[in-house]
Amino acid sequence: MTTLPNGSWFTSLPPCETLVPCGQGRHVIRWEAGELRLPNHPDPEAELVLAALGGEKARCVEIAAAWGRHVADLTVLGIGPRSAADPVQVSWDDVDAAGQAGQGVWAGPALRTRVMKVASAPKAAMARAAVRLKVYQQEAGEASQRRLDMLSLLALGTAFQVRLSGHVVAAYADRLDEPDELGRNVRSVLTAALGGRLALVAERWLGIDPDQVEVSLHRDDGWGSVELAGRGQQRRLLVSLPAGWLARVWACGLALTGGHLVVAVERAGWPDAQVLALRAPGAEPVSLSAHAGDGLPGAPDAPHWEI
Amino acid sequence: MDREGAETYLRLLAEAAIRGSLTPAAESVPGTTRMMVAGHALTAVGALDPLVAEEILTDFRLAVSVRQLRGEPAPGPGQVLTGGQWIGQGRAVLSRQSYLAPRPAMAPSGPESGPPADQERAGRFVPVGLTVPFRAGAISGELCLMSFVQTGTGARFVAAWGVRTPSLELQLGFQHPGLIPFDLFTVTDDRGARYQLDHTPGSDIEWPNLISLSPAPPENIRWLDVAPPYRQAVRVDLRPPGGSAARVSVSDTRLSPGEHLLVMLAERLLTWTPGFPRGGLPTGPSTGPWRTMAAGFGDIIAALEAAGVLSPLSPVPARLATLCASLDLNGHGIAVPPAHDLPEPWLSLLAHYQRRKPDPAQLRDGYAALAASLPELDGIRLTLLGLQHTQGSSVLHVLAQGRTPEPRPGPLDIDLSFPLSIWLRDSGGRWHAARQDRCHRDGLESAIRLRLVPPLTRPADWVEVLAGGRSAEVRALLPLHWRYPS
Repeated sequence: MTTLPNGSWFTSLPPCETLVPCGQGRHVIRWEAGELRLPNHPDPEAELVLAALGGEKARCVEIAAAWGRHVADLTVLGIGPRSAADPVQVSWDDVDAAGQAGQGVWAGPALRTRVMKVASAPKAAMARAAVRLKVYQQEAGEASQRRLDMLSLLALGTAFQVRLSGHVVAAYADRLDEPDELGRNVRSVLTAALGGRLALVAERWLGIDPDQVEVSLHRDDGWGSVELAGRGQQRRLLVSLPAGWLARVWACGLALTGGHLVVAVERAGWPDAQVLALRAPGAEPVSLSAHAGDGLPGAPDAPHWEI
Repeated sequence: MDREGAETYLRLLAEAAIRGSLTPAAESVPGTTRMMVAGHALTAVGALDPLVAEEILTDFRLAVSVRQLRGEPAPGPGQVLTGGQWIGQGRAVLSRQSYLAPRPAMAPSGPESGPPADQERAGRFVPVGLTVPFRAGAISGELCLMSFVQTGTGARFVAAWGVRTPSLELQLGFQHPGLIPFDLFTVTDDRGARYQLDHTPGSDIEWPNLISLSPAPPENIRWLDVAPPYRQAVRVDLRPPGGSAARVSVSDTRLSPGEHLLVMLAERLLTWTPGFPRGGLPTGPSTGPWRTMAAGFGDIIAALEAAGVLSPLSPVPARLATLCASLDLNGHGIAVPPAHDLPEPWLSLLAHYQRRKPDPAQLRDGYAALAASLPELDGIRLTLLGLQHTQGSSVLHVLAQGRTPEPRPGPLDIDLSFPLSIWLRDSGGRWHAARQDRCHRDGLESAIRLRLVPPLTRPADWVEVLAGGRSAEVRALLPLHWRYPS
């Protein structure tokens, strides 16, 4: 069976929003139809220009910029949540503390004590050490900024974290053979991202030990395959799904719907979608109509779908 | 080699470890050791770039620790940390090398960046076997010349020193160089040119076995007179001996990179003598590098298979399982059942440990001159330069020449910059593993002191040296003439 493209991956996701401390108040940040919006900042680009000229940069605007920097950052998949039972809870106090610590951490005493002045150090050696130190500080500063970005984005809450993961997957799902801008092997990162998330879905679906789930990225036509093999300790759930499953299915909260493993979305939509789902491993997938209801008490931000 | 498989394996191991961190009973940074061990194995065989491995480890640590964030600073060791602590975490590193230190020089690969051409030459190796007694004030003793070496990096003797002071009895070999009166010796060649002896610059101060000769003499001198203060010189004949006394044979091994790594790990385990009390079976501490290594064998094997450098049909993992069982190492995680066909040297060493008491030593402090070059193994020319026994400890001095891999230190505590397995069988039939103890690297040469485990206990008439690489193994049968300082 073949699934056809049916709109953007996020069509099966509702808007979400959160309040962020910004200036003297709390402002709304909203995600809707694949875009981050700042209702309290009608012209964020102008604010960025003013900030570049020495004005204060609003936190909402900083977050929007960070979102733009990380919407195709594979690190998001390594740090972000794996399931609704894996909330990554970051407070704005955490972000503030990290921001203050990040200003001094890379030039702290530990570093300074290593660059001792030597009475007769050759000039060439000192120059090389200075270059290494400069490179180190630059790289450390960039790493610090990336981590602060990441912490701010995580502080937006689970709904935003999952949507950001979906964006990252969607950015790479069709170019698995190209390295990302940092030279990472995209297929490896996405295989691990699929493995980490699908193993937890399979545990809820079949009660199988997550360590017994083996995944691979499906690249050919069709939705992929899901098979059980072996017995006892040797039992394995062998799953092959396309990388896009993480965005179109998992990020939209559809992975386990009505006791079925959803393997593809035939017609995306909110609150109604048509999905292709398995009742059991090895079975033929069936086309089902899914309807989104209210979020569950333990995970109000996560879409809850029913057959 | 499947580099993508290697990277994917380590990332999936991180996913499993993060799942483990979600359980209430999780350790503070779960799975870090497993990941470090697997990552080191993959980088050691060249299947994974060390920077990629470190990036995966860093992301893993950030992922685990961000799930432990709390607003208040942690009062002590525990599972919570603040945002400030989270952002201040350092980069995970596989090696212990400082970021600010210059990276170790890699073996150059191209002619433009290569070492001076004279470093490529094999050189001149002459067995000596002469003892030079000396006295200088209150210090007296003997300089025991085992061999003479002249290569592109210079000329030196491989020697042992017996030094006697009023407060120190004669001991052969391991004295601090400060006690040794290098500058009181005079050295003259057959043309009347004079040279100075000195401790080889850059080598370990606890390792006074490399004595440099400066300036470097011409290559065609026939002899050197080594004269101690106020005494007659001893003449060292530098003409090559008539015909090699060593009988050498070469056979193919064709180990995969993964098998080779596992063999090296097994031998590291066998020679971890501090963990093996002399009084009984090896019962090392419950933690420590050898336990860490052994506990990671299952992950290492799986990682090597994922990287395509170890066949699932390889017999080596089963041998490793037998070794772990013999050493009472549980929890190694090797899935295949133990095998019964352990290599003969491993069995010999295990039998030594299981005898439960040390063999009575019948060997006085002494040395045997050697200068035997072995056929090239995996791009490395190995020359045996002397065997020495001092205070119950035996060492083999060797020179390795060739393009060796860049050192990749890490939790496995192995050094693949000397990727050969060296064993020695004495004339009594017992095998001794040779573990790297000291190494002085100079360009494409490494002077290495190998400590024998267990040490020799009898003055062997001959030894068989077995040098194993990935592609082949070399056996050299060498007659020995032991000399003892008075």
